Amino acid sequence: MDQPTAEPHTPGPERKDSRHEYFMKQALLMGEKALEAGETPVGCVLVHNDKIIGYGMNDTNRSMNGTRHAEFLAIAEVIQTYPRSILQSTDLYVTVEPCIMCASALKQYRIRRVYYGCANDRFGGTGGVLSIHSDPSIDPTYPVYGGFFRDEAVMLLRRFYIQENGKAPNPRPKKNRELNTNLDEGLLTPTAPSVEI
Amino acid sequence: MDIPEILKAIQPLRGEVIPIRTVQETNPPEEFGDAYVAEVNVKAASKVIKALDSKYPRNPSLPLSHLRRFAKRENLPPHLQERIEAYESLEKGSIKTIFVIIAPPLPDPEELLELLAPFAPNTYKTGPSSPTSDSFTPTSPPPTIDLITTTIPLQPPFNAQQAETWTKTLWPVTFNPAAPRATVAPPLQILNRAHESIKPRAGYYVSLAQKVAAEAKKSGRGRGVGAVIVDPEIEAEIEEDAKNYGHSNLDRWMDAVLCVGEDVRFARSEAGNPSQTDLHPGVVPNPACATFNADVEGGPDLHALMRAVELISRRRREETAHQAEMAALPNPMTVIHNDPQLSLQLSPLESYFLYEAEARAPLASEPTNHSTSTQPEPSALSPKKRKAEEPNPESISAPLESTCLSPTLDSQDQDQQTTTSAPLPAPPPSTVTTLSDPTIPHPPIEPAETSPVTSSRIRTRSQGGYLCTDLDIYISHEPCLCCSMGLLLSRFRAVIFPRSGRMKSGGLASEPVVFPVADCEGEESSDAVNPGNDRLYYGLNWRRELNWRALGFEFVEDEDEEQIVNASEDEVVFNA
Repeated sequence: MDQPTAEPHTPGPERKDSRHEYFMKQALLMGEKALEAGETPVGCVLVHNDKIIGYGMNDTNRSMNGTRHAEFLAIAEVIQTYPRSILQSTDLYVTVEPCIMCASALKQYRIRRVYYGCANDRFGGTGGVLSIHSDPSIDPTYPVYGGFFRDEAVMLLRRFYIQENGKAPNPRPKKNRELNTNLDEGLLTPTAPSVEI
Repeated sequence: MDIPEILKAIQPLRGEVIPIRTVQETNPPEEFGDAYVAEVNVKAASKVIKALDSKYPRNPSLPLSHLRRFAKRENLPPHLQERIEAYESLEKGSIKTIFVIIAPPLPDPEELLELLAPFAPNTYKTGPSSPTSDSFTPTSPPPTIDLITTTIPLQPPFNAQQAETWTKTLWPVTFNPAAPRATVAPPLQILNRAHESIKPRAGYYVSLAQKVAAEAKKSGRGRGVGAVIVDPEIEAEIEEDAKNYGHSNLDRWMDAVLCVGEDVRFARSEAGNPSQTDLHPGVVPNPACATFNADVEGGPDLHALMRAVELISRRRREETAHQAEMAALPNPMTVIHNDPQLSLQLSPLESYFLYEAEARAPLASEPTNHSTSTQPEPSALSPKKRKAEEPNPESISAPLESTCLSPTLDSQDQDQQTTTSAPLPAPPPSTVTTLSDPTIPHPPIEPAETSPVTSSRIRTRSQGGYLCTDLDIYISHEPCLCCSMGLLLSRFRAVIFPRSGRMKSGGLASEPVVFPVADCEGEESSDAVNPGNDRLYYGLNWRRELNWRALGFEFVEDEDEEQIVNASEDEVVFNA
């Protein structure tokens, strides 16, 4: 039943599956929390046997560590309670396609499957820029399915990027920006200089 | 363990720092597109250009300056010559012609023909100053322009050889050694400047990274991988001082080290069970080193590079201003309080560089080693030196100060804990656990209570420090893909690793090692691949597709033979 979708905008065959909807909504809620906390709004959940065993959201601004992406925090939570080998039978639901760093980390942690919302055409590691998930390496490959609640994930990011980044050395003034609600355009309309996720 | 003594014993590696070529350089992209070729009157050449450029402005994102705009017939490749033969039954007499290329995006052919018609060989009307018999008259034949469709290279050639091949088979192109770099490799000026600043002390930093790696292995907490973060701005100050005061620019190499990170992949407890380190107390290296079993590999967040990055971040989080700011923000993540990267459990070396090196810097850097001198280094006079980081002679050994300082910090923490449910800020240095070498019984190094946060060489955010912007990282092994991307997300300026530490699972190299080292003029070296080397080459540090890029260098030791021995030592393939 599982056909990896290379084209993230194409809803997978399981799009209507309420199970996937439920978990992706939980990931989106984590993204909302990230937005509230002033983080790039990316959220994720790790699901084992239909049960969420780890929650994650971006933590790069608070921690001042640019590598603290949602996936790492979710995995860290899992490891508190389970051995890491449980990840081999665990799926990730994340609002944005994992970046190259996370795509490799998920491979090293041997995730079973990845479901994501919108593609990441700047840093994506599961097809967006590189295809780490399917490249041969010392760790096994994993399947990836994109396009679940893509529009919601995109809107989350846009709501973030119309803000100014006071943490950057040279924040760009964005006073005249308006939230772009046209979802037919690419994610990276002029309102989004870069997706760091 | 006397850290300063250990460090003083570090001998720089001798060798060469070599830029890592980008994947576009090692695997030149060959992109081709359709273009039109039209024959025009040679005398109209400049007007043709004017007409084309005003009607079809050039697209700056499509650099096609490697294509010659015009070519004489004798310089055209054979397939075009043949096409021309085919339509040449038409009378042109002795008119001299030249061929112009119309590059993509291709215009409408009808429109183009109309634009070029006045310049057709048989109709072009020259000015009154040079009347010819070909002037357009009612008896002249109708304008004749033929558009020939052909294929052209869309990217500039990477070397003279490629330029020659394309000239012979597609369309005359020029090779500009500087031009291709802009799109596929770091600009030479930037690369060279960084290269020059890295060269003098790279041997020391790589050597230190290997020392850190050895300590990681000896501790039983990880594999033998170590990382060293260096601030090139401090290196520039070292150079400046060396110039001004006439001492060697190598004496104070250690001053530019901001922190070191050891691999700790075996040290994290999972599900509350004993870690791999706990399972084998006193056994070093950890037995898990002998094989690659994913279940006991910890995770990439425990790799040396990620850890070094986290230590920099952690040091910044200790800044009081930041703690207050963060306490006001909602943070639903509780897992971060459990120190998933073990950044509260510092090894003696890590603790030394994070907290003590500044206070001890005058000792470590004293060029002539007259030990107890508390005179500030001449560098203290340098106006560029950041004031807060000056070694304060009075604080070098002042245990009294620390007892005054710690309660202040502690009470602050308690305030935050009781007044808000906000995240617990990283604890002050005094609470950091410093681990000792399990094999040698000795008291752990005192945590650096004497070192107030502001004395760190790590620029705080209020001092403009942001992630690892403009910093260099030296690492004993080629980092795995995850860490390679982590270094980009951390905005490092450059990454340097020894060639002997290349990893099959690495993310930085862009080509196999070839002996002798590949030269750019040579042809593709794919035939010269080391036997049995079936790894992938990502060249992740500098890729056109990615928003962030770092300069990459390999440190190639002088003794080739020794390198090969080192390389074959790591028989177990793992993610570094």
